[in-house]
Amino acid sequence: MSENIAQLEIKALTSGYGEIQVLWGIDVGISAGETVCIIGSNGVGKSTLLRTISGIVKLTGGSITLDGVSLNNATPEDVLSAGIVHVPEGRRLFSAMSVRDNLLMGAYLRKDKSAIQDDLEYVYHMFPILAERRRQDAGTLSGGEQQMCAIGRGVMGRPRYLMIDELSLGLAPRAVDLLFEALHNINQSGVAILLVEQDVMNALEFADRAFVVDQGKIIVSGNADEVAANPLVQEAYMGVV
Amino acid sequence: MLYLQILLNGLLLGGLYALIAVGFSLVWGVLNVINILHGTFIVLGSYIAYFAHLYFGIHPFASVIISGSVLFCLGYVIQAGIINRVVAAPVLMTLTLTFGLDLLLNNAMLIAFTADYRKLILTDSLGSYDLWGLILPLNRVAGVGLAALLTFGLYRLLRDSNIGRAIVAVRMDREAATLMGVRVNRINAVTFALGALMAGAAGSIFSIIYPISPINSGLFLGKAFVICILGGLGSVPGAMIGGIALGVIESYGALFFGPEHSTTLAFVILIALLIFRPTGIMGRKGYE
Ligand SMILES: Nc1ncnc2c1ncn2[C@@H]1O[C@H](COP(=O)(O)OP(=O)(O)OP(=O)(O)O)[C@@H](O)[C@H]1O
Ligand SMILES: [Mg+2]
Repeated sequence: MSENIAQLEIKALTSGYGEIQVLWGIDVGISAGETVCIIGSNGVGKSTLLRTISGIVKLTGGSITLDGVSLNNATPEDVLSAGIVHVPEGRRLFSAMSVRDNLLMGAYLRKDKSAIQDDLEYVYHMFPILAERRRQDAGTLSGGEQQMCAIGRGVMGRPRYLMIDELSLGLAPRAVDLLFEALHNINQSGVAILLVEQDVMNALEFADRAFVVDQGKIIVSGNADEVAANPLVQEAYMGVV
Repeated sequence: MLYLQILLNGLLLGGLYALIAVGFSLVWGVLNVINILHGTFIVLGSYIAYFAHLYFGIHPFASVIISGSVLFCLGYVIQAGIINRVVAAPVLMTLTLTFGLDLLLNNAMLIAFTADYRKLILTDSLGSYDLWGLILPLNRVAGVGLAALLTFGLYRLLRDSNIGRAIVAVRMDREAATLMGVRVNRINAVTFALGALMAGAAGSIFSIIYPISPINSGLFLGKAFVICILGGLGSVPGAMIGGIALGVIESYGALFFGPEHSTTLAFVILIALLIFRPTGIMGRKGYE
């Protein structure tokens, strides 16, 4: 990648929780408008990677830069202002708040009131069921609807990079299709997408490029179809013997 | 008629109790901090009203603005400067901290104002109104009206403003709120400051009803406690229901057992509720 392409660049990243080191030197780059997926078994540090990028977990080494500007010491607020939005694992909606209020929380840092209203309509258009349920507590939504709400809440932050942790976990196939389609549309509008996903088949089909994480390191990376053809990946993650 | 009058007295008392409890409940619910300072904040609000009236002739209903602002600032500084350092610690730790701060502030007030009861005497009292045999003490009615207005204001703030939504979000999921760009420490400070503001305002309104002394702080704190247990934690409607319930119970209690036992009755109910229904009358953790 040449230096002047707008991108989120992660180099030799290490981080963890106190004494426990989880990431052991991660290198990942995502260009503007691209789709990238990160796959790996349970507990290898995928969520930790996203949490470190969004500034909830402090990095202990390496670097995170966006368009050449360091985000190493950025707070979650700075990261969000820079255009990186993190839709966390487990959706983490504000369960006793209405759907609409959850969506508005996604726009918490924004001051452009009329554009916020437009984006609200955009999300309702993308997920009509949320428009129907706008006054309902988010906790009363079905799993798929909650994930729609979580992604909608992310979109309300006007991301340039949208990071989603476990899109499809525990959801019915129909809901998963709908969500992937929505992600595709969001990407078409110019938003780069970084997807962490258990459903390796769907993820590799969706993304341009893929990274495989194991024990806090990237062990395979490349174009999604290359990664899909990699025997190691087929055996370990796609159940091909 | 007597019973109706008692009910009315109880409702009026309850409206004021709701104002005592609403800030306490907010802080407990959002920050998981049991603020022992709350009673002393109320007394401080009363003193502000007392002196504003004594020296400047400001009516206590008007000095609500002064006591509210002063207490808001004081609360903000205490949370941002001190409590935020340990806010994530177990509740016993923050309870001990606010207990210590309360000792400091309350004793400072004892030194400054002595323990003597002072009475704010309104020169232009509204008197009372006879409504088909029911006696309406108009100052109290106006005080309750103002209390209801303040309580309602807090309710709307939490529901309809950006900062209110952030407070509720922090209450429900700190980390998710952080991901929305909410600075949790700042929200903590604003929440604590709002709790103190409500206490200060309550103090101002109370100054026309109760004699003022630092030694009342424990009594106020106790009421706030009982109301939270009655109504459930951290919700404005809960505090209103709890407040009104306590007001009515105390009024009838005073009739049947004598006024000297009404506070005891409140605590007996508290203990019974804690044993049999620890989630409060409403039974659900509200959020507004
Ligand atoms: N708050 C925490 N404190 C200490 N250790 C943690 C914490 N969160 C995660 N870990 C540990 O860090 C390691 C990586 O966790 P992480 O959640 O990043 O994995 P993951 O790849 O997202 O797994 P999954 O597929 O199950 O979501 C795990 O061993 C986990 O136990
Ligand atoms: Mg994870």
